[in-house]
Amino acid sequence: MEEILRMEHITKRFGEFYANRDINLSVLKGEVHTLLGENGAGKSTLMNILFGLYQPSGGQIFLHGKPVAIDSPATAVKLGIGMVHQHFMLVEAMTVFENIILGDRNTKGIFIDRNARRKEILELSERYNLDVELDKPITEIAVGAQQRVEILKALYRGAELLVLDEPTAALTDIEVEGLFRIMKKLVGEGKSIIFISHKMREVMQISDRITILRAGETVRTVERGETTGEELAGLMIGRELAPSHYAKVTKPGAAVVSLHDVDYQKKSKHNGLNGVTLEVGRGEILGIAGVDGNGQSQLAQLVTGVIAPEGGSVDMKGSRVATFSPNGFILENVSHIPEDRNKMGLIGNMSVMENILLKETGDPRFSDAGGWHLKRKAMRTYAEQMQQKYDIRCTSVAQESRNLSGGNQQKVILARELENHPDLLVAVHPTRGLDIGATRFVHDTMISARDAGCGVLLISADFDEILEMSDRIIVIFEGKIMGEYPGSNPPIDQISLAMAGK
Amino acid sequence: MMRTAETMQRVKDIILIAALTLLIAAVLVLACGASPAEAMQLFIQGIFRNRQSVAEIFVKACPLILTGVGCAVAFQAGFFNIGAEGQFYLGALVGTAVSLSLPLQGPVNILLALVCGFLAGGLLALIAALLKSTFNISEIIVTIMLNYIVINFLGYAVRTFLKDPEGNVPQSAKIDPASQLLPIITSTRFHAGILIAIIAALIMWFLMSRTTIGYELKAVGFNQRAAQVGGISVAKNIIRCAFLSGGLAGIAGVIEVIAIQKKLLEGISASCGYTAVLIALIAGNHPLGALIAALIYATVQVGTGSMQRQLGVPNAIVNILIGAVVLLILGRKLLHLETYGFLKRKKEAK
Repeated sequence: MEEILRMEHITKRFGEFYANRDINLSVLKGEVHTLLGENGAGKSTLMNILFGLYQPSGGQIFLHGKPVAIDSPATAVKLGIGMVHQHFMLVEAMTVFENIILGDRNTKGIFIDRNARRKEILELSERYNLDVELDKPITEIAVGAQQRVEILKALYRGAELLVLDEPTAALTDIEVEGLFRIMKKLVGEGKSIIFISHKMREVMQISDRITILRAGETVRTVERGETTGEELAGLMIGRELAPSHYAKVTKPGAAVVSLHDVDYQKKSKHNGLNGVTLEVGRGEILGIAGVDGNGQSQLAQLVTGVIAPEGGSVDMKGSRVATFSPNGFILENVSHIPEDRNKMGLIGNMSVMENILLKETGDPRFSDAGGWHLKRKAMRTYAEQMQQKYDIRCTSVAQESRNLSGGNQQKVILARELENHPDLLVAVHPTRGLDIGATRFVHDTMISARDAGCGVLLISADFDEILEMSDRIIVIFEGKIMGEYPGSNPPIDQISLAMAGK
Repeated sequence: MMRTAETMQRVKDIILIAALTLLIAAVLVLACGASPAEAMQLFIQGIFRNRQSVAEIFVKACPLILTGVGCAVAFQAGFFNIGAEGQFYLGALVGTAVSLSLPLQGPVNILLALVCGFLAGGLLALIAALLKSTFNISEIIVTIMLNYIVINFLGYAVRTFLKDPEGNVPQSAKIDPASQLLPIITSTRFHAGILIAIIAALIMWFLMSRTTIGYELKAVGFNQRAAQVGGISVAKNIIRCAFLSGGLAGIAGVIEVIAIQKKLLEGISASCGYTAVLIALIAGNHPLGALIAALIYATVQVGTGSMQRQLGVPNAIVNILIGAVVLLILGRKLLHLETYGFLKRKKEAK
């Protein structure tokens, strides 16, 4: 079969960090080619390079065997590449028809030849079974229909190669079936599709070939018929198990927090929790493993009081939680290393000192006159002690925290969250984007918190981190708990399967 | 190291912006057929002619300081209060009503008028704050709409219930001399309200930089989500800053009535509530910066006033220049010529 796209030795560096390193990808005419990998494996970077949003630091792209330079999305569209982003790029107030012809330069002067355009779109929609109501505004049609509009939009612009970035993430099962029928029809008519996903079942159902990426590098390209879901899960996660640096705890203390049958937006597979029951004891690390977007964010927000459960109950140190508010949980001595340190953890425009003391300004050590007047000298002295203790590299504690490196930003959060000996620490992707040194520091700090009797709920999409740190492991998939496993000698095969929803 | 480089860049920016502003002024003066040198001379003379002219700077700056500091505090907390104009008017209206209706005159009357004006302005801003914190409705739209309502309500008031029964023009009766804020420097218009404005600016600076209240306000303004996760109530802080901000504008309105106009009438703000937005922008939302920016603005106004009288250069030039300064500040990165690609290449070629 003819090769439509070949990406050779693609490398993309951001500073010292390689998002893509020497990646090779070949897509044939008329195939569904899946890119499989965990979050941060480099899938999006690679596709952004293909669509002209990033320029590669090295490597070459060939379309139909000819080398091409894709310097902008407009060029990509001209070359016949269509992209359907995970978050749709539609103008909500406009109709389907208007969205499809949006930005189409093929007009007569300033007028739009509506009838001709309409005919063209209807032909496309019939040919590929892309059933849409042209005159409805986007706000009035379902998510699945919006996706069909996106696909139609790409086809209308002459796409031969379609990139579908996690297209099933927002769809119901029935809509997914519909999408797969459309995909089959498209490849049947000679189009090619790059399908991005980390759902094993879907990948095994729809792909012709699968390329697995891990940590910015190509692991392998396999034919669907020659592999199994288990093998793919193993390849995606990386199977080799290094012995953990840390001694595991087998007998945790009394429960710090326990969830009983907790529901939150139960129907949503990606942003909900469905009947979750779990318990974190004093002096243990409970690791929550799972592919990103299976309810982890909601779990973290729930045990830090940011959101309230819609069903079930939460007990904190033995007593039922009645009202959920971040401040209430802070008063219960719950610490939180949030998943997005820039959006939720730090106030970038404020100094290192002010960020370290974010939760403490009312404390008599740092303010007098009834917690009203700030004791700036005491604040500074304390912040400087923390800077030493947590090895925060900054020009001074007055430096704005946004100017710090990711690792040092995380240390600022650690200093704030761990210095007061919390009863519960909720750490979400605590080492995402950090280098090895900083990662080790964060891990050591968490272990000493555990050994001091703190219960730790570690939520991470980094499987290695879960294995390294956890005393117990719970796997979460589509908001449900799939199983619980011991932290010492964990059964990796079973865990990978559970993460893939089996 | 990086810090000094940033400061250097900032100083360079300020000099460049000042120079460009002067250049624009010169062009505008030339276009009126006057000589820029002579205009400059008259400008400076106009400011330092005598103690009245210097005092006049403070008189003109007074409402701008209060409204400008108010806007700065609100902006710092991420609440875009564009309603200083309406809050000023409501403060003026309520202050007048209180002053005229109280039986007793004197300091108590003044104090009550100021307090009620503060409350009125603060409560008006509170409407927008509540709508924002409960329904997430844009405070910008709400405050602008409230401006229209209040400005026209004032027009209604001075024609009906607040109209001077003995006059025929749409304005209120005169404030009793005992309840006016009188000049405190003889033979000038420098009144006690100016001190109130300066003290208010100092208090706001202290509040923003030295107290937990200011700390929380800033945290919410810079990163609402992180502040919330950190246990700080977003709604409480939005309400707080809106109340303070509106209250300051309300006080400005009362002072304008009881110190300058001695009565309530339409157009009393001279649009200072809108100028306040620019003052806060120029000041980078710093309360003391707003104090200085308001004084500079008033100085330029007084200076160009003298240019207008003696050279026929229209006073409108002030607002053109202020507009230009704001644009230059907001677009200052465009002034960094060394970052332009085509210039860089040329340099490298050499």
